[in-house]
Amino acid sequence: MKAKLIDKTALAGVVGGLAAKMPVYAPVRDGRRVYFRFLAAEDEACLDYGNSDNAPKNLFFPHTETLMRFTRTARGHELVEDEAANQDQEMVLFGVRPCDVRSFTLLDYVFDQEKYTDPYYVERRKRTVIVALACLQPPASTCFCTSVGGHPAQADGADIMITEVGEQYLVEFLSEKGEKLAEFFGQLPEADAKTLARKEELVENAVAAIKTEIPGAMIKDWLDKNFEHPFWDQIHQSCLGCGTCTYLCPTCHCFDIRDELEGDQGIRLRTWDTCMYALYTQETSGHNPRPSQKQRWRQRLMHKFKYFVDNFREISCVGCGRCVINCPVNIDIRKLVSDIGRLMEAEEESNG
Amino acid sequence: MPNNIEQKIRDEARRLLTEKVVDVVVGYEEGTLPLLAAPCFITAPEEVDRLIFDASCKQNLAGYVHALIIEHRKSQARVKPEDKTEKTVAVIARGCTSRSIVIHLQERQYERENVVIIGVPCQGYIDKNKLSDKASGKEILAGKLDGDQVVIETAAGESRFPLEEVLAGSCLTCAWPNPVISDFMAGEEVAPRTTEDEFALVERFAAQDENQRWAYFEAEMNKCMRCYACRNVCPSCYCPTCFADQSQPEWVGAGINPSDNQVFQIMRMFHMAGRCVDCGSCVEVCAEGVDLRTFLKKLDYDDLKLYDHRAGVDLEKPSPLASFREDDPEEFILEP
Repeated sequence: MKAKLIDKTALAGVVGGLAAKMPVYAPVRDGRRVYFRFLAAEDEACLDYGNSDNAPKNLFFPHTETLMRFTRTARGHELVEDEAANQDQEMVLFGVRPCDVRSFTLLDYVFDQEKYTDPYYVERRKRTVIVALACLQPPASTCFCTSVGGHPAQADGADIMITEVGEQYLVEFLSEKGEKLAEFFGQLPEADAKTLARKEELVENAVAAIKTEIPGAMIKDWLDKNFEHPFWDQIHQSCLGCGTCTYLCPTCHCFDIRDELEGDQGIRLRTWDTCMYALYTQETSGHNPRPSQKQRWRQRLMHKFKYFVDNFREISCVGCGRCVINCPVNIDIRKLVSDIGRLMEAEEESNG
Repeated sequence: MPNNIEQKIRDEARRLLTEKVVDVVVGYEEGTLPLLAAPCFITAPEEVDRLIFDASCKQNLAGYVHALIIEHRKSQARVKPEDKTEKTVAVIARGCTSRSIVIHLQERQYERENVVIIGVPCQGYIDKNKLSDKASGKEILAGKLDGDQVVIETAAGESRFPLEEVLAGSCLTCAWPNPVISDFMAGEEVAPRTTEDEFALVERFAAQDENQRWAYFEAEMNKCMRCYACRNVCPSCYCPTCFADQSQPEWVGAGINPSDNQVFQIMRMFHMAGRCVDCGSCVEVCAEGVDLRTFLKKLDYDDLKLYDHRAGVDLEKPSPLASFREDDPEEFILEP
């Protein structure tokens, strides 16, 4: 692993240089909000942001994606060859926060496994170099990565890690993919031991600065045993059944596939789906195994804190806080998880 | 300390629950984020102290009233007629909420006896985008209301400004801050806002040329991520199956692309003609900050100027689309 130092002012130039050569997906300020999007010529990457309003999962798993095109003919449906534009071009995902980097590791479990491999996701994932930006200050008081197995400077899954150390950025090249981008950073001095030690110190402070603590890993035990519990009768009541929480969530990955026709030209479309919608798991017969928002909310919590753990031994929440900030009716996942924690304590006490 | 209105709301809610007049009281309680109340559902008298009411209470609660009553009816589908029960819901209602209830009653969604309206005089609620601008985009760590002032704390320190500066657009021109129907008033009525400039927004927009108007509409609709929060919070959006969720036929594509976004929003808005009370809830819940109000307010404008009608204001005056008058204006109908 190589660790180099770059002047703070020089980093924007590096991003510009990258963007001139390949597609760069980076945070861009747009009015009140910061979004991850492909940098256009006039765009400037926003490097002094807390966290983006949308999750960068869009790059690998976009809301709307055409899987194939077809034509309706007298002989039946015929596939239309899609021109595979830029299919092997490298891309850079620049400036991702560690929680979102972790979301890719979790999404990989789903989309890139031996049994089922999602070629669309995997293909884009493979040719993308991930440049992460460590959080030395939690972007918001709603952050809780450390409660769900994350860390404000965790580097797993990133190819390059950038950490602000004083007036410079420490740039750590963590993988071969990352090192291939080294040329864009120019000739940089090696980081000395003192800087590396200073980074460790800053990261420790960053961990201490995260004030929200929830029993993320603990509640699985309770969830295992309490599929039917009065707790589930209350939490969904104010839920509007909109898709805000799941659409902004970096780890939510349910999708829907449908064919859309315009005349005889058709596309097979994949779009995000969400357990919050009434249509979720609605069957053709009209039967819905999750007929009300209660079952759907149970699904959301269970999926993140139990099913995903059963399947992949990880919690499917990275603690970014986007759902907390954006839920229009203030259903706060931190509170729900903490409430379950308190239920567990109470049950333990009454069991002596 | 509860304010005067809160105290009255709590007392009345306690009475309604204790005397079993209602099954549930729908109101607002303190949320987990600064200056953002959460909708709550109180079913036990000892829980009423959770109820609050101030400018942090945002969305129109009438949609919950509708959902609770209709859900209950559905659950009774297989109950013998003599054993059927009715659900009675009490709701904390400001002017706009009460107007939405009037629309429900006009549209025969439930009976007047199904709902107990705890009316509140309303001074308006805080617009999250305006509040965020006051904090210069920084996170608001703490916030409180201090009379007609708002005090917020960010990493840059404390700041104080008049509540008026962060009130939602709908509230600034609200002519019905008090409920139009109620069973109980929790406080003195407040004066309506002057409404001369109520439609300034529409007139400004209409003064632009076609291309400018379309460009603005296009840009706003492109922000939409199709989460349907606007539709789901809207008390007037209560179709058992929304056209946007139908697949046979598929009225609108499911993907995010300019034309499908536009079609979804245009169709939803047209369903609002004469039925939008300008409560601003759809704007407030939108995570992407889409300006829906400019367009919805135009419907409100036409409703008034063409048909002399205001949505949900008078129980005896149904919307123009639900009524017929021989002298209805029809200049806008184009010959084929």
